[in-house]
Amino acid sequence: MSRLSGVFCRRMAGCTVLGLAMPLIPVTSAEDAGNLYNTAVDVRMGERYFERQCSRCHGFDATGNDETGAPDLTGRLTRGSTDVAIFNIIRDGIPGTAMLPVAADVPDPQVWQVVAYLDSLRYDPGSVVLAGNAEAGGDLFWNGSDCADCHMVNGRGSRSGPDLSRVGENRTPDDLLADLVNPQENVAPRWWRLRITGPDGVSREGYRMNEDSFSLRIMDDGENLWSIPKEGLQSYERIEDSTMPGYAQTLSESELDDLVAYLFSLRREEI
Amino acid sequence: MKSILRSLLPALLLPALAAAQEQQLRTVITPAFSPITWERLVDAKNEPENWLMYSGTLDSQRHSLLDQINTENVSELEMKWAYQIPVIDRAETVPLVVDGIMFITEAPSNVTAVDARTGRVYWRYDHELPEDLRICCGRNNRGVAILGETLFMSTLDAHLVAIDARTGNLLWNTEVAHHASGYSKTAAPLIVKDLVVTGIAGGEFGIRGFIDAYDPETGELIWRTYTIPGPGEFGNDTWLGDSWATGGSATWITGSYDAELNQIYWGTGNPGPDWNGDVRLGDNLYSDSVLALNGDTGEIEWYFQFTPHDVHDYDAIQIPILADIEFGGEMRNTMLWANRNGFFYTLDRATGEFLLGDTYASVTWASGLDPGGRPIRVPGMAPTYEGIMVSPPIVGATNWYSPAFNPDTGLFYVTSFDGEQEFFKRDEDYEEGERYTGGGGRYTQPMDAFHSSIRAIDPTTVDIVWEFPIMPRSSAGITTTAGGLLFSGSADGYFFALDAASGEELWNVSLSRRVHAAPMTWSVDGEQFVTIASGNVVFTFGLRD
Repeated sequence: MSRLSGVFCRRMAGCTVLGLAMPLIPVTSAEDAGNLYNTAVDVRMGERYFERQCSRCHGFDATGNDETGAPDLTGRLTRGSTDVAIFNIIRDGIPGTAMLPVAADVPDPQVWQVVAYLDSLRYDPGSVVLAGNAEAGGDLFWNGSDCADCHMVNGRGSRSGPDLSRVGENRTPDDLLADLVNPQENVAPRWWRLRITGPDGVSREGYRMNEDSFSLRIMDDGENLWSIPKEGLQSYERIEDSTMPGYAQTLSESELDDLVAYLFSLRREEI
Repeated sequence: MKSILRSLLPALLLPALAAAQEQQLRTVITPAFSPITWERLVDAKNEPENWLMYSGTLDSQRHSLLDQINTENVSELEMKWAYQIPVIDRAETVPLVVDGIMFITEAPSNVTAVDARTGRVYWRYDHELPEDLRICCGRNNRGVAILGETLFMSTLDAHLVAIDARTGNLLWNTEVAHHASGYSKTAAPLIVKDLVVTGIAGGEFGIRGFIDAYDPETGELIWRTYTIPGPGEFGNDTWLGDSWATGGSATWITGSYDAELNQIYWGTGNPGPDWNGDVRLGDNLYSDSVLALNGDTGEIEWYFQFTPHDVHDYDAIQIPILADIEFGGEMRNTMLWANRNGFFYTLDRATGEFLLGDTYASVTWASGLDPGGRPIRVPGMAPTYEGIMVSPPIVGATNWYSPAFNPDTGLFYVTSFDGEQEFFKRDEDYEEGERYTGGGGRYTQPMDAFHSSIRAIDPTTVDIVWEFPIMPRSSAGITTTAGGLLFSGSADGYFFALDAASGEELWNVSLSRRVHAAPMTWSVDGEQFVTIASGNVVFTFGLRD
């Protein structure tokens, strides 16, 4: 699973020329191009600041918190994708929201260190060296395997699994490989199954699209949508396993690499 | 002829005009607003048409004597009006209703008066806030207090403001503490005789907590009781070195008052830094405690500390419920408390004596309570640099969400959560105005994997008499009524009524957004209503016409 570790260059891990110039060039404005505070030490300092000042809302691992409404910062950012935009959001806050500006006396370099930390949670997908071939993986996905029997990509495919149109944006190649060989790890509640018997004695089973205190909604294997009150249910069973098989035995290592390469290519164009 | 008609017209039209005007008056004019005296507040239970303070009554039971809406007809509830708060944020408000006028607080620190029958606005007060706020957990405000014709409200910049209830005019504006140092205010104040008693937030910023009393006429500070003893005071030696000065122990929810004992009861928050106790070795009095203060002087008459030397952020920021119940064969003046740390406590509120306690939710950090009510810690449950799984999670087995006590059933009702979380420790130095938490937490499972419920607890045994499951987790308060009902809400946006005796669901409506507030009930012209905030909207329900 760690075959990619160290292969791709994390953008802010000190592997750019700019990083070497850090002590000499002061950065005082977000109008300047790029982040000069991007050494490994800066990333660590930014992480410490993040844990202390930002994690209450955004989570200790920066993956967000649906209760506070604070977004996941580890994937593609929706409010600003450049370092300057991220700096400005941290510096100025987002008016009318709970995203407050950092204190005025926090120096700009410290804000840049937070930007460096957030950058370290992502990477330039173009810098990733993959073992597989995306084109061959695409061919395998659509023609040589049963992937498309369940999954959809850009409107093509099926409905019995997560839509993979943008799966490369928030999953690393390591994550994708793990998903393929061990899909039972971390099954999202949206893909749990519910098996229920209604007041009419009819049993139904399907993907758990949504469930709340008083009702549930499923899509059965015929892709029919059902919304059912919990009151009066004769039986209720929740299956937290994935319906996806593991592919470690059925696909070769090179086929898995190709498939990972294809899935990793599924992303929107960078703006 | 023309002139005769002209002179007759007004006379001919007069009855019709009068009838139309009368109809209009009935429609638009609410009953006269009359000043709220201290006597009315003490006797608020017997004035159930009004909701006169955050928790309904000074004993904070959140139990209304209204019974027009009851177990037989609750299924006929329908929405009467909705008020959309113009500032987009989550609403934590519990409105007051005073003689047909409703006062609704809004994020970040505003208040609006509306006609309680229609939800139409009389006035709105906008509190101007500085840009450099220091708030830990959102732009919240939970409600106002009223005395005479004046409303009192906490603001996020750590001010207390007095607002004319008839016009919304600002009467005075007192800085309670300096916001840039990490102080803020979110909770409704409590009126105690001729004092406005109020707490402070900022437990994640290394503040030193306190409870204040202000003159309602002038905004002048009458007394301040620190929730961390200073040098030379009893309990100061429960803090390592100077750690007392930045030890948190905030007071960010409203307390209760017993007029006969003349005692104010108020919960205190976590010691700071939250998750790194190494710098503040000792019990850290009076963090995570309930304080009983003299109603005139604010002096501490007794204290009970639920979680000595807390390292999990288990604030005792819950509403103290005061109930006279039969306990051990005799009537006792008790205080009932379901704590964020997962234990339920029954205390004697005259003395602070621990009578009974046990877990009411999933707990792994302690194995039980000793005979004095002190937790028996499980070794190795303190946060680490690598992370350690502990239950309850940081949000707690419950939190600030209002519980209720129904004297008819004898049951205590609380929103509870059986969850777990990885706790991390970090080393931090205190810097004024900066967060000072020493770590944090992380869920490793989706919220749907955990179990939440409303639990009905017998306070004489801590037995869970019934529980009603909620998904995925609720942060709503609870209110019960003489109609045999329990009203509450859920994170998945339902507002619902249960049978308070059995927990059976009787009615629900989907309001779509998270209920992050407590319901309240009131009446106008003999007609009962129930009001709840969901998402950014305040909804009022009544029986079908």
